[in-house]
Parts: sequence; C-alpha cells; structure tokens
Amino acid sequence: MTTETHDAADNDRTELKARLRYDFDRTAPDYKDNFDSITAELHQKCPIAWSETHGGHWVISGGPDVFGIARNGEALSSDHDIANQRRGYQGIAIPKAHQYQMGFLEMDPPGQRHYRQALNPYMSPAAVERWIPFADDICRAVLNERIETGSIDFVEELANVVPAIQTLAMLGLPLVDWPIYNEPFHAAVYTPPDSPDMPRVMELVGTMLNNVAAGVASVRANPRPGLIDAIINAEIEGRAPTDDEVIGTITLLIGGGFDTTTALTTHSLEWLSAHPDERDRLSRNRDALLDSATEEFLRFYTPAPGDGRTVSADFEYNGVQFKEGDRLWLSWAMANRDPQMFECPHEIEIDRKGNRHQAFGLGVHRCIGSNMGRMMFKRMLTAVLDRMPDFVVDSSGREAYESIAMMNGMRHLPATFTPGRRVGDGLDATIERLQKVCDEQRIAEPVTKSTRVAKVD
Amino acid sequence: MRVHVDQSRCQGHTLCAMRAPAVFELSDMDGHSSAIGDEVPANQEENVRNAVDSCPEQAISLSQ
Repeated sequence: MTTETHDAADNDRTELKARLRYDFDRTAPDYKDNFDSITAELHQKCPIAWSETHGGHWVISGGPDVFGIARNGEALSSDHDIANQRRGYQGIAIPKAHQYQMGFLEMDPPGQRHYRQALNPYMSPAAVERWIPFADDICRAVLNERIETGSIDFVEELANVVPAIQTLAMLGLPLVDWPIYNEPFHAAVYTPPDSPDMPRVMELVGTMLNNVAAGVASVRANPRPGLIDAIINAEIEGRAPTDDEVIGTITLLIGGGFDTTTALTTHSLEWLSAHPDERDRLSRNRDALLDSATEEFLRFYTPAPGDGRTVSADFEYNGVQFKEGDRLWLSWAMANRDPQMFECPHEIEIDRKGNRHQAFGLGVHRCIGSNMGRMMFKRMLTAVLDRMPDFVVDSSGREAYESIAMMNGMRHLPATFTPGRRVGDGLDATIERLQKVCDEQRIAEPVTKSTRVAKVD
Repeated sequence: MRVHVDQSRCQGHTLCAMRAPAVFELSDMDGHSSAIGDEVPANQEENVRNAVDSCPEQAISLSQ
C-alpha cells in the first residue's frame, strides 16, 4: 500500500471508530443497575461498538454479531503471553484482571486442543452421568443442615457448597478441604479491583494457591484418578505441562467450577421464589420443563458475561475492519438478550424453544464444564423443589456481587420455608462417607476407563 | 427429512440431544453430536426442527 492509501485506510478506521463510539465499562459502579438499558442502547445504536475504555477495545453485543465474529477462530487469539515470548497478547480479561495464564482458556490451538482432549473424558455427558448419585447425596446432606430450622442462605448454605465439593472430587483433592478453596475464589471475583479489601483477598487467594500446589505434589507422590492426574500426565505439543501451567489449569477448573454454577442456581431460585406459579408448573412437569428452564436461566443470567480476544489476523465483518492487535470483548450476556435472536429477550420463559444461547461461549473454548454445571444446577434445584417447595426469598437480605464485571453472581440469598425432616446423615459424616466412595469406586477416572455410575448407599 | 451435523462446527453444547434424543447421539468422549441414521422418522420432525433452532453453533442442517 502506498502512503496515501495507508493514510486513507487509517482515516477510514478512525472515522469508523468515531461513528461506532460507545465507552463501555463493566467495572463502573452503575453498570450492574444499568445492564438492561446499556444492552438495549448498544443493540439499537452499535451492536459492534468501539470503546476507548481499558486501552481501547471493540465491544460486540449483538447476538448475530457475536456469533459471526466468534466463528473467526483463526483470526481471534485467546493467548495470554505472560513472558512476552510470542506476540504479547493479553488474554481474555478486559480490563486486565490476573497476572498468570489462566490455563487452556488463555491458550490457542494446538496446545489448547491437547488440553481439551486430555480433559474431555472427565467432563463429557457420559462422564457426568456417573456423578449424579454422588451430587444428589451432597445436596441431601447440605439441605439436612438447615431443613429443620426453616431458614437458609441459598448462597452460603447450598449453592457455594455443592459445586465446591463436587469439583474437588473431580480434581482428586480431599473433599473435607472445600472451605479452603471456596471463599478466596468468590472473594476474588466479587471484590472490585480498587477496593481496599483487595489486599486481604489476594492474601487468601495466595494461601489457596499454596494448597493447590500441595495438592498437586500429593497427587504426584500418591497417584489418584481425577483432573489433576490428567493434567500432570498430559502431553501438550509434545511435552508435559510446566508447574505454572498445571496450577493455571487447575485454577481455571476451580474458577469455572465454583462461582458460575453458584450464580446460576442462586439467581434462578430467586426468580422462582418471585414466580411461585411458574415454580409450581416447573416442579409438576420436570420431564417436560427442567431442561428448557435450565437453558432459559442460563440465557437470562449468563453467569460468565463475556470473554476478551486479541485479533490475530486482519478480518472484515459487516463493513468493520478488525486489525491484528485489536482487543475485542465478546459479550455473551448481551448477545443472549438480543431481540433479533430471542423473542421477548428480557422475559424468562421456562418453556422457551429455539434457545440457542451463548452462556457457555461459542467455538473451541465452549465451556468444558458445561455438562457438569447443568447437572449440578438441576440436582440442587430438584432437591430444593422436593424438600423446601414453598421457599420465600427475603429480599431485604439479598445481596448481589458489588461488581458483576467478571461474574453475574450473588453473595447472599436468605429464604424461609416450612421446616422439614432430616433425611440420612449430616454434611460432615456425608463428606467422610463420600470420600471413601470416591476413592474406592474411582469415580474420578475418565469415562474411557470406567462408565460405572457411582453407587452411594 | 434428512439431518446432518457439521462436525467442524459442533462444539458439544448438547442442546440437540435434549430436544431430540431419539435422533442425535452424543460422543462419550466429548459430547459432540451426530445424527442416528440419515432419515428422520416422521414423528421426530418437530423435535428435529427444534434441535436445529437450538444449536448455538448452527451446526445442524436439514434437507429433503
């Protein structure tokens, strides 16, 4: 290109960016309250927008646009080049949130694909089937702790607990340690980056990561089945993962396994409390409605609201030139509210058809834990509908995350219900028993080694 | 009606098998979908149309 045509092209892009300008900041204090209106505005004015915030990035909020752009897999990189050995790309967080490579979520193929191939047999629908009786038993015991009191905090006393224990079981870490991993992760996600509480939270996270490292060492010394075993023995582009890569991958799996399912479950329970007729309809027609209701809650609440990318090769979409090095935010959450894709997008319809939502992302980075997340959600919801069907949320005690920039989650959701009876043993005894079940039956083995469903007495 | 799942687009969202379990089977390894046979039974046609509309990757196509 001559200097003249180069200048002309640059001017076009500058003009385009000015025309598509919308300064977008998920970390702004008013973002949470204005999500619906910001979404509508972006959809109407510029479903492909240019924002000058956070170093300048494209914001893709239109459903068809996220779909159309996300499919350019070869032109979009998720790489987080920590040591600046490749092209210095900054990973999937916009604004930058963490100083380590978050496992294979922040890698590109072929390495990314090798991780997925190593871990898929632990997370496929067939693998998840095996865990259902185990998950049910955790739910039973967790609800036992509150069933006779007639009150519960759905976050602290259900939705935080079940995914934590389940994820540790899949990793091959001791179930009894679930509190060590739990709070640091949630706190790291709901605490705004500039909060005075951040140093304390980072210290908690540091302790937790030390425990992860100790857990890895323990699995190396005394091999046992599970995701950690899979990672340390994986061959990624011809070599074993480094210690940092192992920790990064485990951190990804814990981060993906904990908060997301918690957020989905909590929001859904709140909605069901506010819509008792729909709750009743769902409970009486689980075969017909549980699946579609789950997908609808996923669409509406989209716990993981989006992911960033770096453009790795120039491409054009809908008249917009994306250039190598551009940063880009794919807003799954906003795509999921696009009236072009979903009728009455801001309404929850538990029997919605054609629900091609993007809550688990699109393309090769589709959430590897999606089947697990769905299963845990359905088992928790089923347990609540069975044992505390008349629950009423106390909205004065309800507390959403201060910032929903990283996760659309809640910290507290207190509710009352007609007390019921304990069934079987309590949480501590159940954890002890399930640890033995897990170890003896080797449920954490991949589905390629065993298809035997967990047997829990 | 014939149905085909494009394996280069399927990412294992599993929504098709939720809608039409008699027509789509999922890999044990990674949950990716493939059609059980080419020809869709008449009583499954509506389920299959729902499945096509439910695929986030738009990986399923129909032909007559």
